[in-house]
Amino acid sequence: MTDATSGPARALNDPVALEIFSNRLLSVTEDMGHTLVRASFSTNIKERKDCSVALFDGGGRLVAQASHVPLHLGSLMGGVDAVLRTYPRDAIQDGDAFVCNDPYLAGGTHMPDISIITPVFHEGAIRFFTANIAHHSDVGGSVPGSISGGARSVFEEGLRIPVVKLVKGGTLDRDLLRLIASNSRDPMERELDLQVQVSANNRGAAMAVALLRQMGTAETNDAIEDLLAYTQTRLLNRVAAMTDGESTFTSWLDDDGMGGDPVPIQSTVRSVGDRLSIDFTGSGPQARGAMNIPESALRASVYFSVKTLLDPQLLPNSGFFDAIEIIAPPGTIVGPEHPAAVGARSIGCNKVVRAIFGAFAALLPPDDAMAAGHDAIPAIVFSGPHRDRPEDFVYLETMGGGVGGSALHDGMDAVQVHMTNTSNLPVEALEHEYPLIVDEYCMVPDSGGAGRNRGGLAMARQIRAATDNIVFSVRSDGHMIAAPGAAGGKEGGKARLIRNYGRPDAEELPSKVARLALNAGDSMRLETCGGGGYGVPSDRPPEALAADLRSGKLSRERARHDYGSAAVKRAQTQKQR
Amino acid sequence: MIRIGLDVGGTFTDFTLLDDRTGALHFHKVPSTPDDPSEAIGLGLSGLLEMVGRRGAEVAFLAHGTTVATNMVVERRGAKTGLLTTRGFRDILEIGRQTRPNLYDYRDRNPEPIVPREHRYEITERLRFDGSIEKSLDTAELEAAVAALRAAGVEAVAVCFLHSYGDDAHEQAARAIVERSMPGCFLSLSSEVLPEFREFERTSTTAINAYVGPRMAAYCAKLETDLTALGLTCSAHTFHSNGGLVSMDTVRRFPVRTCLSGPAAGVVGGAVVAKTAGEPNVVTFDVGGTSTDVSLIRDTAPQSTSERQLAGYPIKTPMLDIHVIGAGGGSIAWIDPAGALKVGPQSAGAKPGPVAYGAGGAEPTVTDANLCLNRLSPGTMLSGRMQLDGDAASAAIERDIARPLGLSIEQAAHGILRIAVSNMSRAIRSVSTMQGYDLKDFTLMAFGGAGPLHASEVAIECGIPRIIVPREPGTMCARGMLLADVSFDFVRTVIRTVDDASWTEIREILKAMQADGDDWLSKEGIGDHDRRFRITLDTRYQGQNHEVPVDLAEIPDDGPDGFIGAFEATHRLTHGHAIDGRAIEIVNCRVQAVGIVPKAEPPMEKKSGDLAASVTAMRSVYFEHSGWLETPIYDRNTLPAEASLAGPAVVEEMSATTLILPRQSAWLDPAANLIVDISPDTTDAARHD
Repeated sequence: MTDATSGPARALNDPVALEIFSNRLLSVTEDMGHTLVRASFSTNIKERKDCSVALFDGGGRLVAQASHVPLHLGSLMGGVDAVLRTYPRDAIQDGDAFVCNDPYLAGGTHMPDISIITPVFHEGAIRFFTANIAHHSDVGGSVPGSISGGARSVFEEGLRIPVVKLVKGGTLDRDLLRLIASNSRDPMERELDLQVQVSANNRGAAMAVALLRQMGTAETNDAIEDLLAYTQTRLLNRVAAMTDGESTFTSWLDDDGMGGDPVPIQSTVRSVGDRLSIDFTGSGPQARGAMNIPESALRASVYFSVKTLLDPQLLPNSGFFDAIEIIAPPGTIVGPEHPAAVGARSIGCNKVVRAIFGAFAALLPPDDAMAAGHDAIPAIVFSGPHRDRPEDFVYLETMGGGVGGSALHDGMDAVQVHMTNTSNLPVEALEHEYPLIVDEYCMVPDSGGAGRNRGGLAMARQIRAATDNIVFSVRSDGHMIAAPGAAGGKEGGKARLIRNYGRPDAEELPSKVARLALNAGDSMRLETCGGGGYGVPSDRPPEALAADLRSGKLSRERARHDYGSAAVKRAQTQKQR
Repeated sequence: MIRIGLDVGGTFTDFTLLDDRTGALHFHKVPSTPDDPSEAIGLGLSGLLEMVGRRGAEVAFLAHGTTVATNMVVERRGAKTGLLTTRGFRDILEIGRQTRPNLYDYRDRNPEPIVPREHRYEITERLRFDGSIEKSLDTAELEAAVAALRAAGVEAVAVCFLHSYGDDAHEQAARAIVERSMPGCFLSLSSEVLPEFREFERTSTTAINAYVGPRMAAYCAKLETDLTALGLTCSAHTFHSNGGLVSMDTVRRFPVRTCLSGPAAGVVGGAVVAKTAGEPNVVTFDVGGTSTDVSLIRDTAPQSTSERQLAGYPIKTPMLDIHVIGAGGGSIAWIDPAGALKVGPQSAGAKPGPVAYGAGGAEPTVTDANLCLNRLSPGTMLSGRMQLDGDAASAAIERDIARPLGLSIEQAAHGILRIAVSNMSRAIRSVSTMQGYDLKDFTLMAFGGAGPLHASEVAIECGIPRIIVPREPGTMCARGMLLADVSFDFVRTVIRTVDDASWTEIREILKAMQADGDDWLSKEGIGDHDRRFRITLDTRYQGQNHEVPVDLAEIPDDGPDGFIGAFEATHRLTHGHAIDGRAIEIVNCRVQAVGIVPKAEPPMEKKSGDLAASVTAMRSVYFEHSGWLETPIYDRNTLPAEASLAGPAVVEEMSATTLILPRQSAWLDPAANLIVDISPDTTDAARHD
């Protein structure tokens, strides 16, 4: 991306102090994040780092956020707004802390993500809020893990927590804590992790007060204004460099999670001067199941897209977020109405990103465009009895796929895309822990969409049951609708789910399967989506095509089909050099 | 007899010579010769020996640190390498952990795999998690794959089969075939390089070992020849990533162990110097031209980790835990389009270097700002062997920073330093809070060419109460070589739930590993009474996916209770809690074999004399709140023993400059370290004066 040269340059009060202040704030959020991860109990927070921390100013504007997952971008803003909406200022005391999770009542993202929000007092007034959000592995509801694609309302998705005071004047409300914990299938983890969340905020609060003492309250407030103005200026410079006008793109979900027709997500990006709006009018109806995208998750998807496309280093704060207008018609999949279920929002979030990237393409400088990628977060779940102990195990894995080709590069092969970036569980660790055997974990040749710059390859993971009584579920997408190419590039390979791959009784199954029983020797193979190609395939440089043939990422037959026999011949001459 | 430590850096090759007879330490520095590092080694060694009037044959001990393997990986100049892997897992090396390197920037891409896909061959064979055979090895397939690799002109082969840490029979069978079909080919087996579970990291480490193997062997041979030509008769030791020394023979087999050794010697040296100075808890702060390396020393011990990447590739051998950020003397100052002043991460490096080097650098750097404020003198670098152009530095700052922002030159230059200090401080806070420590309990040990110049301001920003600056801070890595022991880390994955039966098994495994360590120490020429063993068990609660290292003083001869208590205590320390009643799993057994090398630095001769005689000049130096102040410039080498100085002051020596702020006080400790106190009122003074 190029640096903006035009646009509104607002002079900063102090161009030197800005970076220093920003480093100090980031140290506060880093410290909170480290505390939260280090002291937490559950695998989700400790190992997958499915949590985020943030600092708000006394007026409730987001000042800094340390996010380990893009799905959490800005997702604490709804909670802080809810606190300020629910409680008059004089009802908030020093030593209080609030808890909430509900997407409709408290700006939450989905029920397992519980937020803790703590006011920070100094010289008799609220100067900051420290806040953090963490994914709890279970908050009750109809299925373990509290995320069921088939849930028909939020009432099936676990305990709903509006904004309530968990800590009053420094005293933890143990009754309330017990109530929340008792609604989970693993109450001990909830009780412990919620307390860790409270102490992470307290640590952040102490550092924020130290900052106020070091700099002075008025100087701190000036620095906050500078920081937000600076961030906004950076963003608006980039928006001003976009082509004025509007552009629309539609991405599709295979279905709404309960079968049926593909569901469109339509985004129209309008850029006029330095104003940017993203309008989802035209998107399909609210899903019957849990694939709806609540406001907070939609915002995160928009913020992710803008940050990635316009300025990856842009600081996540209100200066950035307030500058973007978002329109999401009620009753649609991106504007679900109470009490529509929202637990399985993450696949839809990646499809929202696909729609935004597609719409932006026409307005960005040509070098910044990128084709659609794998753009899902498929989750496979195996459960059953442990090999050597009485309890049951639950093994969940989300899988990556191909990144779309871009104007400058081939798409990356076999990685997590957009709103998540969690690691896989190593095969050797998996086999030690569970009675499962991984037969294959590989990239899928020929799955990258053809183009001047090829789409990234999909991945496949094939897992076999080592014992009877294994239960399998999956929530995937892109089995019907592939990642489209851009600027003349071809689409990437579709996802597919195959039971007993390579055996005579092999069969392909749909993208959503619940509670399929496996016996010893039965296997499930999920191949995810490849990325779309960018630019017309005939423009692909012969040496790049030669490299693909040499590595086997592309078969000779497929190459002839996509790039033509003449190009393949040229590439082979290349190869002999 | 004399002992020599030398460190080959990207810009300079540094030497420290210790004369055991007089106790004198000598320091030397020559420009590095990246195309053939041994050239600078030879030149520097002969210069150093000449300087002290000694002969090569008198050198009793030589330790050297090299980034030859590191640079080979960073610059992708290793050997053409092939990989043999289990059927179904050809892409392990390329998929990795399925993560992208940057959450928001798709231009930031995973590096090309160290072994390209066309040189990765799947072999039919499969072990289960417990080492039992699911599918036996298909040797015909193996023969065919090796033939194909030979035909492709591969110079090194890595072998990594699933679960081979449990049973290496299949990998050993592969060894036999490769050795027969490709004699002279460099071979790495994962069961030898890193018998530890988690296949991606093991494969990556094994493949990199093979990738750097052939060229590292050539480098070792060249160095040995050169040393012999200089008349040296002692064998050379090489510094590895976990802060110890190994023989040339071990380096040839496991070159990957040197890949992250670059900044480690400074930390080892820092730990010894700090211990002698009575400072058990230290933050090492090593600022060079392009980077700042930060690490924690707790209770006199550097901390280890095994989770680091080099150029995007994981290397999972034990190594000192050092945090590196892109901030150094060469970091470039710039104004971003939204009007904020930034420093780095782009660096002018050693070439072209800062504007003041006059070698073509046009953008102002941190070093230029230090010159502009007279904190650094144009004539003292390398004792005058390198001249700097202060006027050019000031002109660049005025043109690129001061005028566009409407600041004075001084404000602009000091702004650059404040931001550099702020970036460095954030790294220090991050390293300490990650482990839950409070910086008030630490001392900042500043070294590297530019560390002592920024330490006072960094300590104030971080709330660190005291600074210690060792002698010749710019050659600390070479000195660290002389303060390191011979050591090698052994690991074996053995996943067992802790009970009486498994504990007996674990003890037997530890004994076998210790016996391996004993053999290794014999080969390194270490006498019986100089051998030590450090036992560590990587342990977790059942269901967790990360381990905490539990150190044991020795292999216990009783039941597991003592160990369980130690695990709970460690878990409480690192995580803040223990989980009652949850089963405990041992995952990895580790034994570090250590050969103690004599290294106590003998007491140096005490200099007497008058402090005033050490003042070489008075110079006007710029400070944040006081502005320009006439400041005494001291020659550190002539400071009398245990001298006390009052700030403002500048202390110069061959390899570095130390800045002491107004109202700070400093003194030399008995070992001639410079100590600076950042007491709360000087912090205050610095803020409000």
